[in-house]
Amino acid sequence: MANIINLLKRQLRAYFYSPLAYVIMLAFLPTAGLSFCRSLEQHLGRQIGVGELLFGASGFWVAVLAAVALLTMPLFAEERRSGTLEMLLTMPVTDLQVVLGKYAGAFGFFLLLTLPTLSFFVLLQVLAPGLAALEPAPILGGYLILWLIGGCLIGAGMLISALTRSPITAAGVSFLVIGLFFFLDSASALVPGEAARNALAYLASAQHIQDFAQGIVDTRPVALYLSLALFFVFATVKVLEARQWK
Amino acid sequence: MARLRPIGLAQLSPIMIKVEQVSKCFGPIKALDAVSFEVLKGEIVGFLGPNGAGKTTLLRLLATYLAPTKGRILIEGQDIFLHSLEARRRLGYLPENAPLYPEMRVDEYLSFRAKLKGVPRRRRRDRLEEVKVLCGVKDVERRIIGGLSKGFCQRLALADSLVHNPELLILDEPCSGLDPNQTRALRELIRGLARRLTIVLATHLVAEAQAICQRVFIMNGGRIVAADSPARLTEQLHGHVELVAEIAGPRDEVIKRLQSVEGVRRVRPAAPALEDAYFRLTAPADESDRTNG
Repeated sequence: MANIINLLKRQLRAYFYSPLAYVIMLAFLPTAGLSFCRSLEQHLGRQIGVGELLFGASGFWVAVLAAVALLTMPLFAEERRSGTLEMLLTMPVTDLQVVLGKYAGAFGFFLLLTLPTLSFFVLLQVLAPGLAALEPAPILGGYLILWLIGGCLIGAGMLISALTRSPITAAGVSFLVIGLFFFLDSASALVPGEAARNALAYLASAQHIQDFAQGIVDTRPVALYLSLALFFVFATVKVLEARQWK
Repeated sequence: MARLRPIGLAQLSPIMIKVEQVSKCFGPIKALDAVSFEVLKGEIVGFLGPNGAGKTTLLRLLATYLAPTKGRILIEGQDIFLHSLEARRRLGYLPENAPLYPEMRVDEYLSFRAKLKGVPRRRRRDRLEEVKVLCGVKDVERRIIGGLSKGFCQRLALADSLVHNPELLILDEPCSGLDPNQTRALRELIRGLARRLTIVLATHLVAEAQAICQRVFIMNGGRIVAADSPARLTEQLHGHVELVAEIAGPRDEVIKRLQSVEGVRRVRPAAPALEDAYFRLTAPADESDRTNG
């Protein structure tokens, strides 16, 4: 555990020592803010849950996608490129600890990145009381699904980063792959067969987000995203171990 | 009566590393081909060979970064792939080009590494001071690694490999990219360490192997082709010197004249087809030095 915490701290420092963290924050927070304002504008005078103002905005999710692709990009690709991976993996730590440390570092950064968006709701309450009912359940539900999906996408991005030597390639591929997540429900219309359509629709994030942002917390998506994140961590460990199988 | 402490067999054995028939393939490429050798405790052993001879692959195997395709590697009788964490605690590894995190400060980096290598908290400060002084990075402890010269980076990476007080040190081209002064200083440092540790290093420079090692394995094409002390190997390598000279003149006359030069053992035309050009002269190393002035 101590090793994982050490690696987590190093990863967080690595983000903040490089311009990357600031670039991501500078791009993410205004985009999130603008999408929040836009959905506020669109829904003015109409009945809408407060959670959906932020978490129902597609612009916000595009920003999440881009942020995750960028923040997972250096995790292993950079270490592989610079040769520090060799230094890391010849220390008395297990591959699993390295992967978990990196994952926790990236997830920690994601939390730091998304927490300031809480201020949007506070500002809304202060500046325009009564415009939207500030209920805690939809907001908490919204953050829960944001972090669940974020955790799962970070896992996917980390796996892709472990497969390549070039951080830019990792970012590009991650953006594409995790972008597909969000098109699953549109894609489900194209798939023949009732069962397959239902399965895809069940996996599609859009429906989960809508439910959670209305304060309806279902354990099935929770289990889905947690197990996907776990799978990605496991797969990354296997990718690192693969150096010994060749 | 004082209780006798049981001594394990491993502690009695003078063998630090035992490599048994180790092969390593990368797909169709055989990087190492049935390599076997032993390294005694306290020895400094060098692997000498051209690029692509398999030196780095061998060191990566010893450092547990890669696993062998065939064969096994024992450190003090313990298979390093069955007990890789234990092995990593006992060895310090300096990969080629000393990869470091450029954004960190020297102090911060060493302390990060010391923590991960399990140096206990109460001993950490003293140990960090020790290695910083030993490796000469004390003066730059507050600097950012990205701004350090190659020499300091190399020293820092060495300090890192020593921080957990390993018994075995694995160095891949420790002096590559350094200027002659830095090289001399680093060699001095490595020789100084040898009193306490076993050192295995790879190099492509004969001079480096000569300057540091007690025993040298020469590698080529993934195999160990020779093993001896550096002095004896140098003798074999430099037993004679061949000179190729282009001399215009009648063949027999030229050969006769050349043979009469002091120190020349043998003269033969390099290209028999060409009547008047290219002769190979063979002379003992020291003799030819004299004739060359």
